[in-house]
Amino acid sequence: MKGALDRTKVVLRHLPPSISEAALLAQIDASFAGRYSWFSFRPGKISHKHISYSRAYIDFKNPEDVLVFADLFNGHVFVNEKGSQFKVIVEYAPSQRVPRQWFKKDGR
Amino acid sequence: PERSARVAKVRPPLHQYIRKLLFSDLDKSTIEYVLRQLRKLPWNECEPYLLKCFMKVYKGKYGQIHLIASLAAGLSRYHDEFAVAIVDEVLEEIRVGLELNDYGMQQRRIAYMRFLGELYNYEHVDSSVIFETLYLILIFGHGTSEQDVLDPPEDCFRIRLIITLLETCGHYFDRGSSKRKLDRFLIHFQRYILSKGALPLDIEFDLQDLFADLRPNMVRYTSIEEVNAALVELEEHDRIVSADKASSEKHSDTE
Repeated sequence: MKGALDRTKVVLRHLPPSISEAALLAQIDASFAGRYSWFSFRPGKISHKHISYSRAYIDFKNPEDVLVFADLFNGHVFVNEKGSQFKVIVEYAPSQRVPRQWFKKDGR
Repeated sequence: PERSARVAKVRPPLHQYIRKLLFSDLDKSTIEYVLRQLRKLPWNECEPYLLKCFMKVYKGKYGQIHLIASLAAGLSRYHDEFAVAIVDEVLEEIRVGLELNDYGMQQRRIAYMRFLGELYNYEHVDSSVIFETLYLILIFGHGTSEQDVLDPPEDCFRIRLIITLLETCGHYFDRGSSKRKLDRFLIHFQRYILSKGALPLDIEFDLQDLFADLRPNMVRYTSIEEVNAALVELEEHDRIVSADKASSEKHSDTE
């Protein structure tokens, strides 16, 4: 069982569906530039049936930064251009796997 | 009434080809071929669409889900980013399902449980992910003001979700620490089941099959008091084991 301090991958959930990767990264990098080794953004979608939130995964280099990050971003309210509010959830990602930095180029 | 004809979606040829590979060509005998063809795609361009299609497992046949899981595992060697994303997506879908508890999504949610179990079977996720998911299903929303919406007393759907996941991969938890983890989970699960009161017969029969399959000798408790006592005993046992461990470690330190 992994202890709290072995986990480095977090997920940001309930981000505004229309937030752009660049806008989110700018906010994160304001305090955490260089402190994570992997970032992956999953845009949300607004359809007339239902909205799906945007999400992002971050793998921090230092497990302690996860706590600092959560302190800053968990519960943070994003406001979109229409004034709707989105309260972000920061959690440990349920799967801690991160892509290998190096892998075979597919020779196909 | 005046109504314009429904316009069929026009998909780019590459997307059509991906759909053909995954949704019509794929079967037990062609999986090697499909995997090879997928590897030949221009990945930079196709990756988001592939992810989308892989997440459509619930639209295909239930019995085909393991093939999609096998492809995901097969691609991880060359496209690890994609293979990691698949797992993150499935876990997110399971979580969203719990958050919305939307009746119309039930079939899809069952398919995702099956998919997760198959990803475990193809060694693409760890047992810890499976157990975390199992416990999440037992407790999500409990103790909050939304409990009656997220898991109303008469709603047995979460039991279905758990049965589906354990039917798919539970038989691998038969030795070592994962065996102990399943034993422990099944007691918590029994407590959850008993909290629901009388179960619909179809669920009760599926539970009987599940227990017969995974732990034929396990006691099925008949009251909350009994199962609570069993959980207290379990905790007590853990406390002794960890105390023993600590003292034996101390011993070996001084030797």
